[in-house]
Amino acid sequence: MFFRVMDTSRLPDLVRGLSRDHEVIGPVAKEERFVFAAIDDPADLRLDYDTTLLPPKKLFFPPEDQMMRFRVADNEVLDDEVFAAPRVLLGLHPCDINALLLMDNIFLKDYVDPYYKARRDTTLVVGISCVPTEDCFCNSLGTDEAHWGFDIFLTDLGDRYFVSVRSVKGAELLDDFVETREITDADTAAFQRVTRERKDKFTQDVDTSQLPLLLDAKFDSPVWDELGERCLSCGACSMVCPTCYCFNVRDDLAPDQKTGTRTRLWDSCQFSEFAAVAHGQNFRESRASRVKYRYYHKQWGYLSKFERVLCVGCGRCSTACAADITPREVIAALAKGGVE
Amino acid sequence: MAPRVVVVSLASDFGCQVQMTNIEDDLLDVLGLIDLSYWQLASSGHMPAEYDVAIVEGAVTTEEHVELLKRIRSVADVVMVIGACAVTGGIPAMAGEGDLEQRFAYVYGTDGANVARGRISPGPVKRIIGVDYEVPGCPIDTAEFLRVLSHALQGLANRLPQEPLCAICKTKENVCLFDKGQICLGMFTRTGCGARCVSLGRPCTGCRGLAADANVESAMKILAEKGYDIDEVTERLAVFNTREEVFSR
Repeated sequence: MFFRVMDTSRLPDLVRGLSRDHEVIGPVAKEERFVFAAIDDPADLRLDYDTTLLPPKKLFFPPEDQMMRFRVADNEVLDDEVFAAPRVLLGLHPCDINALLLMDNIFLKDYVDPYYKARRDTTLVVGISCVPTEDCFCNSLGTDEAHWGFDIFLTDLGDRYFVSVRSVKGAELLDDFVETREITDADTAAFQRVTRERKDKFTQDVDTSQLPLLLDAKFDSPVWDELGERCLSCGACSMVCPTCYCFNVRDDLAPDQKTGTRTRLWDSCQFSEFAAVAHGQNFRESRASRVKYRYYHKQWGYLSKFERVLCVGCGRCSTACAADITPREVIAALAKGGVE
Repeated sequence: MAPRVVVVSLASDFGCQVQMTNIEDDLLDVLGLIDLSYWQLASSGHMPAEYDVAIVEGAVTTEEHVELLKRIRSVADVVMVIGACAVTGGIPAMAGEGDLEQRFAYVYGTDGANVARGRISPGPVKRIIGVDYEVPGCPIDTAEFLRVLSHALQGLANRLPQEPLCAICKTKENVCLFDKGQICLGMFTRTGCGARCVSLGRPCTGCRGLAADANVESAMKILAEKGYDIDEVTERLAVFNTREEVFSR
């Protein structure tokens, strides 16, 4: 990794330059919230965004994704190639960069997912520093900084960006499209100050140090029943989660019944049919068991395999849950033995 | 032999049958798969004595409907109901249960008894006979109709989604209407419409009926805590669901 400094006024140059050979996708305003969308005009880019409605996983693992078409008569696969154009994802916060690394463990390791891989391979990531919101708790999970998973990272120092360059491709793009200069001691000092000030802005401190022990010890806790009574089983938490990757697969026949499409769609462990199997059996029929499963998978199951929890503390589930079920509250309730 | 299909109307505004005619691009493909023996909206023929599939639109509102449905069930191998009126009772079921006569007199006057003879409390088709396939919504979505019809023709199970609308609404990146202080019935309502109304900025009216997974009790409690008028929420739910359905949950 090496570092450069770029005036914030140069950002439109960078966006325009990147746009020459890439689709540029970044945060834009949608009403009073933000979404990742294609950037046609650099002025639309809102690097001051707090968080987006959906995380960037939608760009690699779309909510509804046609996997192939098939012919009914002989079960022949008609087209299953993945078209992925070169693009730059501009303006990812550290939590979302870390979330993509957690998704990579699922989609690129034991079973390489061609749909995810094609899009991941053709996408460059440019990170941007952020200011914590009241729901953010990445600081409790060690995901408040991104050390890998980006090509370029911009830390906003006010009038200039402190630019961390992680990849050769990132260095080339920066070199091709925008004027930067070498860092000075003053820049480094400013970077350290900004980093320190940001750390002080976190309002949440979730104690996750005892989580695996806590979850093992509290498997039969009444906390799960209380949460189950409140949970709306709507699955909003899974949809907005940057690390939830479960999907359903559906086949649809064309109106003439001669060909069909296979589509995968985001699924949620909070739906009653998620663990339903043949003969009408359901491993997790109660809401309580489904809420519990979500926490065990994210905070313990994934940890036991990848040595990280499957949560980056982005706070989207806390914002999206109409029943106000938040990881912070769940963890605190387990530690205490009851919901407040 | 292509399955013989009849399309039957009970109490409704025929909107879902109009939706069927709106499947213009695919209608010829669909008609190529079936022997459309009777469709009241599209022809003046008579209903045949024998058929394989009955597509029923509309709510049950009279004794005559009850008899018709029983006959249909004894003849057809497959009964498919389409639209909110047939699936959940829909708008006609707003006429209510115990107070039906009172409401009838209010609308038609005291000498209106002969207007609709043999009237009964309006309700969904499933109240009278077993139903094999359902296409909910007001009106039906043509793509879903084709999908369910395809399942019916292939003899596949009826797989309506069980969960509420919120998940798909999140995937559309809609700003939650609750955050804007509006009553949206999405957390109660069966998904499958693609959150079309909310995506257009309008709250969900619940036309697809209560979702099996919906936690009605908790949702009511949450709405009350947030200062919403629960009576109003109940009234809105009763537009496309029968009251007995809402209160039983």
